[in-house]
Amino acid sequence: MATFMDLNIMNCTDVKKLQSIIEMAAHLGYSAVAINHVAAFEKKKAEIGKPLCPADLFPSPPTVQGKSTPIKILTRLTIIASDPSHYNSLRSTSTLTRPYDIVAVYPKTEKLFHAACTSIDVDVICINVTEKSPFFFRRPPISAAIERGIFFELIYTPAIKDSTLRRYTISNALNLMQTCKGKNIIISSGAERPLELRGPYDVATLGLLFGLSEGSAKAVLSINCRSALLHGDTRKTAFGITYTMKKPQVVEDEGSAEPVSKKAKKE
Amino acid sequence: MKGRPVSSEPTSYERTVLKNPSEHQYLKVQLVFQREGVKLTAAQYKSLIVSAVKELHGEVGASCPLDLLKYDDKTLSAILRINSSGFVKLWTSLTLLGHYQNQECSIRVLQVSPFLLALAGNSRELVLD
Repeated sequence: MATFMDLNIMNCTDVKKLQSIIEMAAHLGYSAVAINHVAAFEKKKAEIGKPLCPADLFPSPPTVQGKSTPIKILTRLTIIASDPSHYNSLRSTSTLTRPYDIVAVYPKTEKLFHAACTSIDVDVICINVTEKSPFFFRRPPISAAIERGIFFELIYTPAIKDSTLRRYTISNALNLMQTCKGKNIIISSGAERPLELRGPYDVATLGLLFGLSEGSAKAVLSINCRSALLHGDTRKTAFGITYTMKKPQVVEDEGSAEPVSKKAKKE
Repeated sequence: MKGRPVSSEPTSYERTVLKNPSEHQYLKVQLVFQREGVKLTAAQYKSLIVSAVKELHGEVGASCPLDLLKYDDKTLSAILRINSSGFVKLWTSLTLLGHYQNQECSIRVLQVSPFLLALAGNSRELVLD
């Protein structure tokens, strides 16, 4: 079975808080979480800095509930785009986005949404859930995005906080489902506090509320997240070429005494 | 049973296949607060859940028969019983519950089963060490 992932935990300066959120996620049964670095271009110059190093955060990450493996911590970059020039950092300076496991965009207008679906090199497109969607989800860009393996992200934390936001979340989600038919959707938390996280099975049931079928509701947390992560991996490498390097092992004394040919024969 | 030979003696076994036999679903839930030491009575607990259902699904959702079978006020955990038709409505509204009397809270659904007996064991943490 594919493991559960939550691809959006808001990065905050308070390390204690971030640790407690990640501990809570491990307790609830998530096998991997992604820490979200937001780059808002509202200010004159937004910086895309180096991502937070997971090893700094935890010397030994907490173990996942029901498993004996430690939780995996990933990094993710979200670019809030309200102008076409904001995509430049994705196009030209791809070295800036390379350290991140996942790159997401949050398009504010229909034109930018179309561009993100069809031409920009991203993994995840965030769907606005905090206000009435300013544009209608049309079929051509969405089917192009599904073809390219790009995922649409819905976050559920605003729905917990406020009843008006809950209405917008459900209506925008249902609008999106009408067009994409439940394909290529991921649901993540966007949590800023530990109590805003919900368990993976609870979130899968929430998918039923958004108009998904039972099978795809479970896929939004597990299979689709994994695909998004693998899409990020192909973006980081050269679209399918993975290069790994193995560190040379320390040669044992007894093995080095014999000639290489003899040693090979023994095995 | 039509094509089978009928024995003269009565058979000693019976095979019954039930499709969708469960009328109810049972949930084991726990209420978690940010702050320690919040006390709730069983009646308050149930009204909290009913109001959560009412907020998301309205009067029609809240009209689904819901029972609080067992309540432990120390751990704030309870076992709920709901009609199968109202099951998803109850679970989604428990998920979207975030506040109780201006305090942040969250309901953890620990276990779900159509049989009450299954709640005796723990299905989420099978690998214990």
